[in-house]
Amino acid sequence: MARVPDLNVDLNRLRLANPILVASGTFGYAREMEAFARFENIGAVIPKTVTPQPRIGNPPPRTVETTSGLLNSIGLDNDGLDSFVEKHLPYLKELPTAVIANIAGHDVDEFEAMASVLDSTEGLAGIELNISCPNVSGGVDFGTNPQLAAEVVKRVRGRTSLPVIAKLTPNVTDIVAVAMAVADGGADAVSLVNTYQGIAVDWRKRKPVLGNVTGGLSGPAIKPLALCAVWKVACQVDIPIVGVGGISCLDDVLEFLVAGASAVQIGTANFYDPGLASRLVDELDGCLGELGVDSVGDIVGTLESAPAAAPAGKTTT
Amino acid sequence: MDAAAQSPLPGLVPAASQQTACVIEQVRMARDTYRLRLECPELARQIVPGQFFMVREQGGSDPLLGRPFALYDIVNNDDGDPIGVDFGYVVVGKLTSRMVDWQPGDTVDIWGPLGNGFPAPPDGHLVMVAGGIGQTPFLAVTREALGQRQYGDPPRDTPTRPGTLTLCYGARSEEYLAGIDDFTTDGLQVRVSTDDGSHGHHGLVTDLLKDLFRESPEPTAIYTCGPEPMMEAVAEIAAEHNTPCWASLETPMACGFGICFSCVTRIRLDDGQWDYRRTCVEGPVFRAEQLQW
Repeated sequence: MARVPDLNVDLNRLRLANPILVASGTFGYAREMEAFARFENIGAVIPKTVTPQPRIGNPPPRTVETTSGLLNSIGLDNDGLDSFVEKHLPYLKELPTAVIANIAGHDVDEFEAMASVLDSTEGLAGIELNISCPNVSGGVDFGTNPQLAAEVVKRVRGRTSLPVIAKLTPNVTDIVAVAMAVADGGADAVSLVNTYQGIAVDWRKRKPVLGNVTGGLSGPAIKPLALCAVWKVACQVDIPIVGVGGISCLDDVLEFLVAGASAVQIGTANFYDPGLASRLVDELDGCLGELGVDSVGDIVGTLESAPAAAPAGKTTT
Repeated sequence: MDAAAQSPLPGLVPAASQQTACVIEQVRMARDTYRLRLECPELARQIVPGQFFMVREQGGSDPLLGRPFALYDIVNNDDGDPIGVDFGYVVVGKLTSRMVDWQPGDTVDIWGPLGNGFPAPPDGHLVMVAGGIGQTPFLAVTREALGQRQYGDPPRDTPTRPGTLTLCYGARSEEYLAGIDDFTTDGLQVRVSTDDGSHGHHGLVTDLLKDLFRESPEPTAIYTCGPEPMMEAVAEIAAEHNTPCWASLETPMACGFGICFSCVTRIRLDDGQWDYRRTCVEGPVFRAEQLQW
């Protein structure tokens, strides 16, 4: 007989009811998802990135579909922190699930100031730091520099008692070094990964397709890349990982968990299967029950990779 | 305008849903142009003219995203209950090239209804100006305006109806004219233009609109859908005559319901500035004077 598995997830100080989250920028401010999602089935909602001041965003076209992927350059279009707190937070905090605010600043001071404001509000379970947006000037700098990334986390931690997740960019030579730095800086978890920088070309017009020329690639096309980043960091850094990148079915979820993610975020799939995230927790529950697993944590990081193939610095058992 | 149209997100549809729909039939309408009929009673019951839905192949990841299609008309069963939707499409890209092969019995993903739709028909002389596949939303507009059919759940009121109804329809050439038979109905005047003169007026569809302003009764409201330069020209003519005009935009979309922020268009603000706004949840139908072309 199938057991009832424990789906709770602990990302250090952040406890979530289940490991299926939805990624920032792919779930609006949740209100837009009301018709399609069952919020109580989602481990945490992460609304669209908030910046200190309103941002108009990048000129269209802002997205273009590529083979099994989506290239976007939205440019953090949002109405700013004050508007987020006044207009969106009152709705978000009533949702029957955890809400994690995703924030981005131009410099460390801005991150710090935003953390202070959010710390004084009610209804948030945590803060995710977007130090990895490839589509705005300054946005990706923090995530490519381990010292700067650690500094942002440390200073944000000094201003809020909320759990802090650092969302990292994969557009670096060594993502392990960045993950290590933010772990040392006090991050409760890392989200791996934001989008991969890319461009789309209209060769007939000799022009880029996106208004901003470059964009970030997401969707099933990047899943093996994201999975690799998760696995590398899981092997070498002692910090909970939230895996994100092209997840579009239960098998994808389980692959990320086995590779070392404690939780996952559904991103681009929300665009073309808005009910997916709400369904996945039921599917996961059923699958773990059939496997006879007591707790979802029991399968996290169970990948049996040959020691020779594992990244240097840690041997797997 | 009704209350929903005044909310900040008039195109956010709380009753939308994601469903599996069965292909009922596929009919060639014109060159590279087809009409698909999908069985989806829930959506058909709710949708109003000018609203759209997203359609996607089931499974697979290439093509990855759904594509937006405007309602052509709802399909009722013998008892008059809505059971499905018709929509038109032109074969232009990856998904539409594959849609041609969809057969009755195939199942697809659909989510909607989405967007705000055209307002309920005004009185006076309503002129619909369409370019290419932009004629799509105007069959349902016509049927509602003529009192032939009701849309929405509960069926929306049409306290006023146009005394005169005209469709100005422009296409590249005669072989691209789609659905002329459908639009042949008592109470609707159809005027056609083609770029090559193979049918109707040889020239722009906006010439037909200009003609109408020299006749009686003059247009008192204009709905337009088609290529943006055409809609911009229509809006200009409408403005010259102080005639209210609504334009249905077709901006590229990834989701159709407000979460991706791809489909933005420039909307004029009260202070003279403009801001990008999502076509899917604030439109796709806008008052022409809101648009910063």
